Amino acid sequence: MTKQETLKLQAPFELSYDYKRSSGPIMSKFFEALSKKKILGTKNASGKVFVPAAEFDPNTNEALTEFVEVESTGIIESWSWVANPKPHHLIQSAFAFVLIKFNGADTSMLHMVSECAESDLAKGVKVKPVWSSDPKEMILDIKYFVLEK
Amino acid sequence: MIPAAVIGVGQTNYKAKRRDVSIAGLVREAIDKALLASDVEWDAIDAVILGKAPDMFEGVMMPELYLADAIGAVGKPVIRVHTAGSVGGSTAIIAASHVCSGKFDTVLTVTFEKQSESNATWALSPRYPYSPHINAGAGGYFAPFIREYIRRHNPPENIGWKVAVKDRINALKNPLAHLQILGIDEKMVSDSPMLWEPLRYLESCPSSDGACAMVIANKNLSNSRNAAWIKGMAVRSEGTLSAGRDEVNPQGGIDCAKDIYNQAGITNPRNEIDCAEIYVPFSWYEPMWLENLGFTDIGEGWKLTNEGLTELEGDLPINMSGGVLSSNPIGASGMIRFGEAALQVMGLAEDHQVKNAKVAMGHAYGGAAQFFSMWIVSSTKD
Repeated sequence: MTKQETLKLQAPFELSYDYKRSSGPIMSKFFEALSKKKILGTKNASGKVFVPAAEFDPNTNEALTEFVEVESTGIIESWSWVANPKPHHLIQSAFAFVLIKFNGADTSMLHMVSECAESDLAKGVKVKPVWSSDPKEMILDIKYFVLEK
Repeated sequence: MIPAAVIGVGQTNYKAKRRDVSIAGLVREAIDKALLASDVEWDAIDAVILGKAPDMFEGVMMPELYLADAIGAVGKPVIRVHTAGSVGGSTAIIAASHVCSGKFDTVLTVTFEKQSESNATWALSPRYPYSPHINAGAGGYFAPFIREYIRRHNPPENIGWKVAVKDRINALKNPLAHLQILGIDEKMVSDSPMLWEPLRYLESCPSSDGACAMVIANKNLSNSRNAAWIKGMAVRSEGTLSAGRDEVNPQGGIDCAKDIYNQAGITNPRNEIDCAEIYVPFSWYEPMWLENLGFTDIGEGWKLTNEGLTELEGDLPINMSGGVLSSNPIGASGMIRFGEAALQVMGLAEDHQVKNAKVAMGHAYGGAAQFFSMWIVSSTKD
């Protein structure tokens, strides 16, 4: 290290602020339903069901206002195994981030699958939710998914 | 250059808190109104140009990603514009430039801010290492510039109060305006708390939620419609803390105005422009910008305000909609100026319409009074 480099100053710069989120009429209903152990999607004019509920159809641009309840079980569409979770992960034993397509839905949702081995995971494997005992109208009202055996 | 025009403007109402909608829902509300006003469908839109002020305001980084569905950008080019408070104006200009260049026939442009999810003063004044933390926000930053304007030209102290009253009286004629202060008068303003000396509470803009959208099209669509033809548009920039810069009367603003007057063939802006929506977030910026934009000589701007010439019925109406002083969804505030100018020449400004307005100016500034965007719109193409 040259002398010039050692003289360069450094100081901590902490930045934090508690933002508020207004989730709007569509996502609010989705999260409310989660707290009641229900999975809601929105349906477009041609019957395509978006789960999680979407406010706007990305292809037709229509505003989606019709809700449909889908089954809380679904299949794994894709996954990424986390063998050694870091402290910031929500699950501290090996788990997978997964895209889950609920039965009755046409799109998939990002969540986690736990209590399984990496070798259990495959496209099409059936999963079911483990509900939180303390729902807060948030996505973690589902703690994670487990294999439906 | 291919002639381009605004064929529809859509605005949400402006409020302190739009907790009833998500950011996507808010933005879409303005878009739906703009498409309706333009009488065009989604398939006519070739590109979407989105602008907003710093992402740190809502904490949604790159909101154009999250908003792609809501703004109808899927399968189309989307361009994000960011020039601080002037962004609403520069977004409109980026959108119009893509039509004037022939790149696109019809563009949708939209800007927004949802200040209820955030705190702009916090986002503008982080505790940087090595700097004293003054937590000033925009008002604290501009107050010394205003003090210097007053020192140079020695206007009566009530000029700022007059602007604050005039814009809020105009807001009472605009149902979309955030602040609706019945009985507003100079006493109410001068009795309000001092925030950033010499600026009082009622001489300052509110924090608003809201969005503004426009459809800009070339003559294929615009010829057959009520349209606001863009006769001149320009942006200019300056450094933040450059030595020798005149923050009170920035050269960037002077140059930007001259540029659009040249494009529009305007030699006497005071006589040839029927009305203007200019970016006045703090009361004293009305006389300061009147001078900077060449509507009057240096040191004379406050006289126009003082004589009531900038009122809705005056000979140079300024901020007919109530201006930034009455509604300030920051990212959208510039586009509201540009859109309101368009509405005036289209004859669609309803209760705050200036009679026979044919030529109007939209103006925005941002950053440390360092980014400028302006346009001139006309009721006729030629």
